[in-house]
Amino acid sequence: MSGCINIAATMRAILLSVLAASLALRAASAEGVDAHAHQQLLASEEAAHPQDALPTVTRSLVNYPVPAIRLVRDDGEDVTLIDELNDGRPVVLNFIYTTCTGICPLSSHIFSQLQHKLGAERDRVHLVSISVDPEEDTPLRLREYAQQYAAGPSWQHYTGTVAASTAAQRAFDVYKGDKMGHTPVTLVRTALGDPWVRFDGFATADMLLKELHGKGQVTAAVSSTRQ
Amino acid sequence: MLACVLLAAGAWGRLKPLSEPSLNTAESLYRQGVLPDGKSLRGERQGGEPIEGQAAACANCHRRSGFGVEEGRIVIPPITGKYLFRGSSTDARQMAHPGSEALSPQRSRYSSETLARAIREGIDPDGRKLDYLMPRFALDDATMALLIGYLKQLSTHPAPGALTDILQFATIVTPDVDPVKRDAMLDVLNHFFGNKNAFYRGDDPPLQRERRIHFRVLRRWQLHVWELSGPPETWEAQLHKRFKLEPVFAVISGIGAKTWEPVHRFCESESLPCLLPNVDLPVVAEKDFYSVYFSRGVLLEADVIAHRLRNDAGHASPRRVVQVFRPGDLGAAAAQALAAALAGQGATVTMHELKSRQPARELSAAAREASGADALVLWLRPEDLKVLPAGVALPKSVFVSGLMGGLEKAPLPPSWRDAARMTYPFDLPAQRVIRMNYPLGWFRIQHIAVVDERIQTDTYLACSILAEAAGTMLDNFVPDYLIERVEVELSHRIINGYYPRLGLAPGQRFASKGAYVVRFPDPTGTRVVTDGDWIVP
Repeated sequence: MSGCINIAATMRAILLSVLAASLALRAASAEGVDAHAHQQLLASEEAAHPQDALPTVTRSLVNYPVPAIRLVRDDGEDVTLIDELNDGRPVVLNFIYTTCTGICPLSSHIFSQLQHKLGAERDRVHLVSISVDPEEDTPLRLREYAQQYAAGPSWQHYTGTVAASTAAQRAFDVYKGDKMGHTPVTLVRTALGDPWVRFDGFATADMLLKELHGKGQVTAAVSSTRQ
Repeated sequence: MLACVLLAAGAWGRLKPLSEPSLNTAESLYRQGVLPDGKSLRGERQGGEPIEGQAAACANCHRRSGFGVEEGRIVIPPITGKYLFRGSSTDARQMAHPGSEALSPQRSRYSSETLARAIREGIDPDGRKLDYLMPRFALDDATMALLIGYLKQLSTHPAPGALTDILQFATIVTPDVDPVKRDAMLDVLNHFFGNKNAFYRGDDPPLQRERRIHFRVLRRWQLHVWELSGPPETWEAQLHKRFKLEPVFAVISGIGAKTWEPVHRFCESESLPCLLPNVDLPVVAEKDFYSVYFSRGVLLEADVIAHRLRNDAGHASPRRVVQVFRPGDLGAAAAQALAAALAGQGATVTMHELKSRQPARELSAAAREASGADALVLWLRPEDLKVLPAGVALPKSVFVSGLMGGLEKAPLPPSWRDAARMTYPFDLPAQRVIRMNYPLGWFRIQHIAVVDERIQTDTYLACSILAEAAGTMLDNFVPDYLIERVEVELSHRIINGYYPRLGLAPGQRFASKGAYVVRFPDPTGTRVVTDGDWIVP
């Protein structure tokens, strides 16, 4: 039921004009939207009204070339970011650290919900969470953290050297110089070669699901949540 | 609903200070998200997203002090009674929470009733909705009264050692410390405190009347040196006694040798911040709050060696490892930690205790025993390393504790230098040279003789970190808040002496997390080169 309401609310929000959205953005600037971070913004479709006390989210399409970065997956395997992102599945990506108390618990909760809402299609979407505090977040700590959020087999957490984590953050324009400065950003890419859809703010699981659904990748899952 | 509010208003109108048991119950609710009946606190964000238990606890975002925090562009406002029950004001005399205060929207003062509404329904006293991040909690009246009572008293108690014109600190010296090292540390502390107080102008009017001016600069810092005596079992009692006689706001730096555990326990039991002591065997206790260390010391070295042994064996476990240490020294705990790390993987770990003051023969026996093993690990001080025997067949890997052995100055005999791999939980000398210009320059200006570079640099760092953290507290001298400021600010530092970087976050208590393994490329001298990347085990 709540899924239906959220989807309806999301659809309404999409109807907001770009102008209205940008006005809402300005009104909500104190809540964390950085105008400079959106110079690459190609289309802003969504912005919840601050009076609704819902997260203020902006959506943009951006091409991010992914550099060669070596990371360590939560199972201890050395991997490259490119290989992990380009395994053929749609990707949903965020940045977290395990001792974070403000932003990350909610970001991870949203991923957990997304997994749940994907239902039977869960393993056809790759959820990727990269640590911004890689020296504290060892593979073991990441596994423990993943367990807290009931991460399934298609949701992996990544660590690595400080340089690798920083390079990954820079590659997606989320680097703020310090883990405590990070802001909630979620990136979705439905198919290799497509631009990334960037959500600044706490994109809800329904928004992410809609994004995945919009490309027809996980139609079965979305239709099941509508019932 | 109206009835409920009226009833509640009646109840809260009579709110009295919480009794001790109620305070403990309220604290569990505030810090751990445990309701008075023992069940988990549950909340919901707008849109129906649930949040439960520890994740829902107030302290999780608003911190133990209740002073809030800034994360990215998200401002978690303070929620102490002092802040909530008066309006957000532009009156500078009311300014007590820097940053948070300035960025919070203007609002009217809360009453107990409007605060209950905010917690239940997410509406502030002016009828505006609270931020999306703040969950709503359907607390019953009794629990609400308990929570509001807790917030009213939170962070209001005068902190020990924080007086209107003076901040008292202590440093702790255990009796097993080399007096040269103790004096080296005290020299830095005394100069730092003297320097700090050089800016104090005692004849100025009491500027705390005009709170627009940061009157922290006018508080003099006073240092008490708590030198312990006798066996470790008596230290805790000695410390409690000293603390009663000389209440201090925090313990800064300090120096220990074989054990620091009694000091750690004392700080925890007195809720006393204990910042960055010179100890190579800290206490690892994840739930403890008040002690912050530079690193896990020899325990970190043990994990680095375990990591390295596994990697060298192609992610398999080494078959046989021989460890040598002196009973009663740090190496005993480190050897236990390494044995535990290798346990369960089928490795046979032999512990070889050095007992003799003339250990050449024992060392020869240990080396012979290790000749067929995968690794020999030496948790030894320079005087023992110096007499390692020549002409013995060494195993494939020989690891030496850098912290115990004296880093690049370790007096390894020439025949051991080729095989030896040393754990080195710092940047290498060549890499840290620019960063070290700052403390070394300061020592020169202060005419401080550098007799133990690492201890003196770490002491200088500890003082600088304390000064920075205290500087952002304004007059919010609450011990928990000092720790929270260090958690937030530490990773912003660039000048970190021996360490490539320092960083904490909520709950993290070890600021540097990794180590190099180095080797000695020359038959003599102090040049070391890395043998692989920085390892974070």
